[in-house]
Amino acid sequence: MGTFLVSIGIGLATAAILSLSAVAFTLEYAVSRVANFAHGEFLTIGAYAAYTGQTFFHQNVIAAALIAAAAGMVAGLVLNAGLIEQFRGRAGITVFIATLGASLILQNVLVIVYGAANVSYTFAQGRLHHVGPFLWTTSDIEVIFSALAVAGLIYVLLQRTRFGKAVRAVSQDRALAQVSGIPARRVVMQTWALAGAVSGFAGFVLADTVGTFSPTLGFSFLLLTITATVAGGIGRPYATLGGALIVGIVLQIAGTYTSSAYELVFAFLLLVVLMLFRPNGVFIRGSAAAVRA
Amino acid sequence: MYWVSIFTEAGIFAILALGLDVVWGWCGDFDLAFYGYLALGSYMTFVLAIGKPVPPVKYIIGWHLPVPIAIVAADVVVVGLAAIIGAIALRNLRDIYFAVTTLGAVSALYLIVQNYTPLFDGFNGVYGLINPGQAALRLTYNGYRIVLLVVVLAILFLAYLLVQRLSRSPFGRMLRAVREDERAAAAYGRTVFSAKYRAYLFGAALAGLTGGLFAIFISAFNPSAWTPQELLVIYAAILVGGRGNPRGVILGVFVVYTGFVELTRFLPSPASRPEFGPSMRQILIGFLIILMLRFRPEGIFRERPGVDREPGPGARLGPFRARAAATSAGSPPAGPAVAVAIGIEVQPRAAEPTDAGEGLPGRPSRGAPRDGHTDEDRGPQ
Repeated sequence: MGTFLVSIGIGLATAAILSLSAVAFTLEYAVSRVANFAHGEFLTIGAYAAYTGQTFFHQNVIAAALIAAAAGMVAGLVLNAGLIEQFRGRAGITVFIATLGASLILQNVLVIVYGAANVSYTFAQGRLHHVGPFLWTTSDIEVIFSALAVAGLIYVLLQRTRFGKAVRAVSQDRALAQVSGIPARRVVMQTWALAGAVSGFAGFVLADTVGTFSPTLGFSFLLLTITATVAGGIGRPYATLGGALIVGIVLQIAGTYTSSAYELVFAFLLLVVLMLFRPNGVFIRGSAAAVRA
Repeated sequence: MYWVSIFTEAGIFAILALGLDVVWGWCGDFDLAFYGYLALGSYMTFVLAIGKPVPPVKYIIGWHLPVPIAIVAADVVVVGLAAIIGAIALRNLRDIYFAVTTLGAVSALYLIVQNYTPLFDGFNGVYGLINPGQAALRLTYNGYRIVLLVVVLAILFLAYLLVQRLSRSPFGRMLRAVREDERAAAAYGRTVFSAKYRAYLFGAALAGLTGGLFAIFISAFNPSAWTPQELLVIYAAILVGGRGNPRGVILGVFVVYTGFVELTRFLPSPASRPEFGPSMRQILIGFLIILMLRFRPEGIFRERPGVDREPGPGARLGPFRARAAATSAGSPPAGPAVAVAIGIEVQPRAAEPTDAGEGLPGRPSRGAPRDGHTDEDRGPQ
């Protein structure tokens, strides 16, 4: 029982990072109807930006997090303006393949700049804390609370501001939003900036949690992100948060009792089961009829 | 000898691309698991042909079959795996859902092969298939390499004939009809899943064969040889050559493959940064994919409509043609290709008003004759 609860505790930290990444992915999908394959690279860019930043800012974690978010934001803006908007009106799968190309480019640019070898931060992980039945390091706790804070921030942005209203309108129907006087292009831009910033931050905390990372950091996290997104229901931010929580904990438990090397195998199995039986997410009772993007 | 090697590799990848084009070009299923089939075919050929493992090396089976038989047996295993993945992924999932499922499948396969050493010796991989048959044929090393090139090109040619024939067959046209509009095709009595499934298994069989040839060509295989990114080169080649056009696909592979190898050979690759050259190559591939998709999604050679020698049965599908053409707007091979895909001839230049494919989209043109084609339409294709 002790092992079980500890693994749930670690699962919560994973789930927190996963939820950030998945919410960003789902926001991108909501406004642009694009499953962004280059999403993983936003995380990687955030992680490396913080890596570069830490030498300038002398181990200040908050500064590193802000740099990661800023770099992710820039990446989101550039990808949207340079690629996604160029492909407006094209079939979803076409844009998907284009973002696959973008993923290849970004990943290899990072390889050229930083090298393919693993690097790591020098931030202290802190000591272990017993919080109730869970066993967390200081940075685990920081990760969980910062994820909660970011999720809360996204909630306030989407539900309580004009921007959030516009995002919801655009995600329902971009053309209709446009004719209603909403500057759709700008709203989409801002959403990508927000998603990029959240991803960049997620990349930083992910890299900090796993210890060492390489330019494939985000790419290997992408399948987990997509699984979490599908679990919640793609395009719906709050459901995605819940889905990420479930996926993170399930994977952690499965990994604890077998081997963490096979985490992605479980993610894949979970993904297949979800797509076959709950294609619209676990929170909607829906038929398993043909699923299209 | 350098060029012999390049062309052999390009020839092998061209066979793979033909198979992938059946799945992606004809059926429209963007499959990311495809390179896994090549890998499995390669692994299985090794373990069936190189004999018992010598400790500490570990792998399954370890038979000493003659190489051609090993390749065939390996291919059977590959098709078996494709049958499982296809049965899951093709039934209800389409577009990005299909792509993501296949990506998950290949990632799972990759992780298992890498971490579970008793299977194919994990990250070390398998090796030891060095020029099989060289002694029996009494060839020098160079002579053997040239013979291998000839064999690969011969198999490529046979595969091309087969695919080309299939492309023009009712089966090939049905696949394209299903790609353009599944519901309409189903309404006209096509079993969508079975059509896609059979095409998928056919594509996987070609990939497994490619894996066997690849095993002979590089004589060692480990997980670094089949990272998911390798597949993107093949997709780029198909995009350049022309999706759905077998000749274009082969040309695309040779152009992209030799072109990129040649271009990137002259890139500086300093000893301190050994990854610079390969990374530069990947970046160029990424740009190539994006630019082709953006500016010329149909490739250098368009998909060529098939010709039905007997216009009879196709003519009955008049209204379907209009609907299929209308819904396909926006996807690369639109218009006439659709109409022909289900068995009707349309000459691209015959833009007569009765041709629903070029008329108003959205609904079938009622006034159009059921068989809206005159004899002039049936020119040489």
